[in-house]
Amino acid sequence: MIGLLARREWGLAFKTPLGWSLLALSLVILAWVFLRVLDRFSGLDAAGGGAGLNLELTHNLCGTAAVLMLLVAPLLAARSLSGEWREGTFELVGASPVAAHDLLLGKLLGLAGLMLLVALLPLALAATLIGAAPVDLGMMVAAVLGLWLTCLLFAAAGLFAATLTSQPALAALIAYALLVGLSQLGRADALVAQSVSWLDWLSWSQHLFWFLAGVVRLGDLAYFALLIGLFLALAQRFLVNRRL
Amino acid sequence: MGAHPILEAEAVERRYGNRQALVGLDLRLARGEVLGLLGPNGAGKTTCLRVLSGNLAPTAGRVAIAGIDLAREPLRAKRQLGYLPERAPIYPELTVNEYLTFCARLRRLPRRAVAEAVDRAKARTGLVQAGSRLLGRLSKGWRQRVGLAQALIHDPELIILDEPTDGLDPMQTREVRSLIAELADHAAVIVASHVLPEVQAVCSRVMILRDGRVQHHADLRADAEAPPWLRVRLERPTTADQLAMLEPVAAVEPAGHRCFRIALADDATAAQLARVLVAQQLGLSELTVERSDLERIFFQNVGAEGVA
Repeated sequence: MIGLLARREWGLAFKTPLGWSLLALSLVILAWVFLRVLDRFSGLDAAGGGAGLNLELTHNLCGTAAVLMLLVAPLLAARSLSGEWREGTFELVGASPVAAHDLLLGKLLGLAGLMLLVALLPLALAATLIGAAPVDLGMMVAAVLGLWLTCLLFAAAGLFAATLTSQPALAALIAYALLVGLSQLGRADALVAQSVSWLDWLSWSQHLFWFLAGVVRLGDLAYFALLIGLFLALAQRFLVNRRL
Repeated sequence: MGAHPILEAEAVERRYGNRQALVGLDLRLARGEVLGLLGPNGAGKTTCLRVLSGNLAPTAGRVAIAGIDLAREPLRAKRQLGYLPERAPIYPELTVNEYLTFCARLRRLPRRAVAEAVDRAKARTGLVQAGSRLLGRLSKGWRQRVGLAQALIHDPELIILDEPTDGLDPMQTREVRSLIAELADHAAVIVASHVLPEVQAVCSRVMILRDGRVQHHADLRADAEAPPWLRVRLERPTTADQLAMLEPVAAVEPAGHRCFRIALADDATAAQLARVLVAQQLGLSELTVERSDLERIFFQNVGAEGVA
């Protein structure tokens, strides 16, 4: 059932201009960022060596993609669920033998496929340099993994927000507020004392940072798994409560 | 009702905040029965259908489909349910074939049975030629057919149809009525409609809701077998007892100033009644066959008899 619903989400993205437009827009923006990074490493005043290039590529390409997906992923997720209420198709799902968690996982999996394509764009751009520059593909893969997990977190937050309202735009705004709030939690460290460093741990940007540096830590993987699970559990609860 | 009920609803209530949208609904429906659900806008019809389809949880009471409790085992119970909501639930970017295949899988039909189920549902709803058409480009009537097809694709035991002929032309309406009669051979069917002749044509039972309460619940087949009533207006002052003495008259009810409702005796005709009333010099100024019982019952129950 999860696979069926995921394929339906995937189909929704690519049977309409939505998925293609997102990929094209992402490619244009990332290609521009890519060329700007290359500018710094070519010509007479070229900066640094291979390590610097790889770090610049992961930070700039995956960082830009993360910002882009912060804007897009919650909106896609909110549209996917709120749209069902708005268009009246939720009555079809609601009267079918589909559990709320299957519906949410199906939607998240479908969106995960689309977001994997976006997350692979930085890797594809970096791969064009193979043979011409010392590209660290392992570092790029770690960064892409981090980017994809971050996108999943954004989508899970979008799905949760969509269970609160039938208006996709409002749901997306709620998700933005949640995600921006979470990313800013780390700043509390700078304002108060060292003892609140657990707030730093709650900030997704801190965990993404390690992936972009090519470091895959179990703690970071656990963070994303926990937070995605938390948003999905909340979404499941609210989805069930909508019937009450 | 002797047959094992497909749908059982006991003391079902639904409340939105302080407002009671559905109160004390008791309903048992067996295979072969078609229940017409009537009521003015806001009477609670859609709430009732949404509760029976599992889209809304009842505030109190119990619903069971094919003996399976909808609250305790929703996934098993919903396998036996086909539901067409007020607005056909379609995905505009899919073709008819893709959509029906998705719906069949959503109802957990085995993969090998899907193609046959899609073909059968298309044949029953007149969609054979429309398989490759995009849903977003279909007219309202065609969308309604697709909505019907998804509701019956898995041969459910209970089929709930909210305004199934909405948007259909007269030809399509007739086809859908025949389809509902055909569906009732294997399932219990609930049809919510505003069209009284439609309910009279396809339903074996009728339930009238008003302000969330059941105002009337009756067997239409028994009513259909009863002879029609005639409505007469007499200019000379006459009592019901006087009219009851006349030969072609079986029963009389006063129906307003100088008006009476008359049921004819066996083998008597309206022409005979007219001849007798004229012969009695009662000043017959009007004689009409009364509109259908359902229409009368409906207006009596929604409190608009004077308007009708």
